[in-house]
Amino acid sequence: MRRGVFRILVDMEASCPPGILPHGLPQVKEVQPAITAVEQEQKKEEAKEVRELSEEEKQMIILSEDFQHFMDRAGRIMERALCESVDIYTDYTGILGEEGLDEKCHQRISLNRHFFDERWSRNRTVTSLDWSPQFPELLLASYNNNEESPNDPDGVVLVWNTKFKKSTPEYIFHCQSAVLSATFARFHPNLILGGTYSGQIVLWDNRVQKRTPIQRTPLSASAHTHPVYCMSVVGTQNAHNLISISTDGRLCSWSLDMLGQPQEILDLHRMQSKPVAVTCLDFPHSDVNNFVVGSEEGAAYSACRHGAKAGITDTYDGHQGPVTGISVNGVQGGIDFSHMFLTSSIDWTIKLWSLKDSKPIYSFEDNGDYVLDVKWSPTHPALFAAVDGSGRLDLWNLNQDTEVPAASITVEGNPALNKVSWTPSGLHVTVGDNQGKIWVYDVAESFAHPRHDDWNKFLYTTQELRNNQVDEELEKLNYSVSSTSVTSMSSLTSTPLR
Amino acid sequence: MANEVDETMKRIQSHKGVVGTIVVNSEGVPIKSTLDNTTTVQYAGLISSLADKARSVVRDLDPSNDLTFLRIRSKKHEIMVAPDKEFILIVVQNPTD
Repeated sequence: MRRGVFRILVDMEASCPPGILPHGLPQVKEVQPAITAVEQEQKKEEAKEVRELSEEEKQMIILSEDFQHFMDRAGRIMERALCESVDIYTDYTGILGEEGLDEKCHQRISLNRHFFDERWSRNRTVTSLDWSPQFPELLLASYNNNEESPNDPDGVVLVWNTKFKKSTPEYIFHCQSAVLSATFARFHPNLILGGTYSGQIVLWDNRVQKRTPIQRTPLSASAHTHPVYCMSVVGTQNAHNLISISTDGRLCSWSLDMLGQPQEILDLHRMQSKPVAVTCLDFPHSDVNNFVVGSEEGAAYSACRHGAKAGITDTYDGHQGPVTGISVNGVQGGIDFSHMFLTSSIDWTIKLWSLKDSKPIYSFEDNGDYVLDVKWSPTHPALFAAVDGSGRLDLWNLNQDTEVPAASITVEGNPALNKVSWTPSGLHVTVGDNQGKIWVYDVAESFAHPRHDDWNKFLYTTQELRNNQVDEELEKLNYSVSSTSVTSMSSLTSTPLR
Repeated sequence: MANEVDETMKRIQSHKGVVGTIVVNSEGVPIKSTLDNTTTVQYAGLISSLADKARSVVRDLDPSNDLTFLRIRSKKHEIMVAPDKEFILIVVQNPTD
């Protein structure tokens, strides 16, 4: 190109009369090349001409990996920007809007929003909920199959974002078999684990532009061959395992680096080597060895992974139907309540247990339908949430009342609520129903945060519940003793007459 | 894969108040659009040169900096621009709900 050429002029005549050389060095100047009128016209045309792409060229670009990456990233950002509903032109000198604020302040529980995706979550039961430990706004939900669309993948896992007001999922993953449990891989922020109906454990990665699992465990006798309803990642950053239990009672512990085969297998048996059909699992806070499970036959069990008597250690019999949810009290604070756990069941009740006692401390019998899940609050020692088949979400504060829930709300349309989960802050409760919707409720701060005396109060409450139970039993005993004595007396009195 | 691009476009387009979505390359040539041809070409040319200008402003102020997002509020519309190395995503929306 001519533009790159510079002409060097040696200017000698600038200030001196002819014939006399200037002192000093000759001056060097840069002078642009001469441009003719024809050239100028050409340049203008060049700038104007915006070449249109042909359909084929467009398609080539659209299919390129760079473009896919760009759309994924830019689309995400754009959606967040679109959902920012803050009006920067708010004028506070103007007239005030409707007074809806006051009403909300007095409610203990109020609907915040719901998550639903027409394509991916409709007609699918929510099978599990989990929160990202790294990004507390991310909610992971797994879904069962959609019977109305047999051509779609059976299992779906969606990651929702509670921070932005956008109504679409942040990530969409799916797999061949219905996903019954899903969890973030706690120490790997990008990985998501799913337990499926087929018994496979699958692994998704959000760094890969792929919605299908990047890894899966084998379907063989050395791992699970029955549905996996519960999973949990336990341990520390340097030493952690994925624990999964299938309904034939098999517990597998996996290293996330090697999903080819489980590191350990433990078969959970009751007496006479009957396998335990495990439906739910919970580990006490920061415990890696001991855990509790609920079973289809209605009993809850405590068990341990290692030691001389690995397997089931104790049985907690009390429910008349399958146990649907189990939760260990995990609030840290003055007094340790990690031996207290709750179970929910198809038999319409929720029961409060202590690991030290094979009989329930108390039975909550306020529900008129299947109780499908129960969870302790992560911040308040005496607060828990429960959901049932008639669309009711109950919050119980045992320090206030043990007969009726402290707050109760019915979800619009009365869907069966399958799962309940607290945010780690304890200020929101999310529930998943059987139609693919997840409802997020705000819990009033005054209600969600414990007062400093709540620990002592709860200790007192449980003691009182125990005493009541003992009294009741004594009464029963007395009654039966007195009635038998009466009959015996009467028989005694009657015999001599004959 | 192209399916997911369409899905993203559809999702953005389905947001309340969105008038149009355009993807252009670095030369301002439209690749995908939900608007009619004339409007698309007009938006593509004008916005890409504005985004270039905005980027050079940001870079001139601090050479280690770069433009990530551009929003233009006007009385009638809001134009949101997500620029990248090779492509630019433009969304036009009515700000009033």
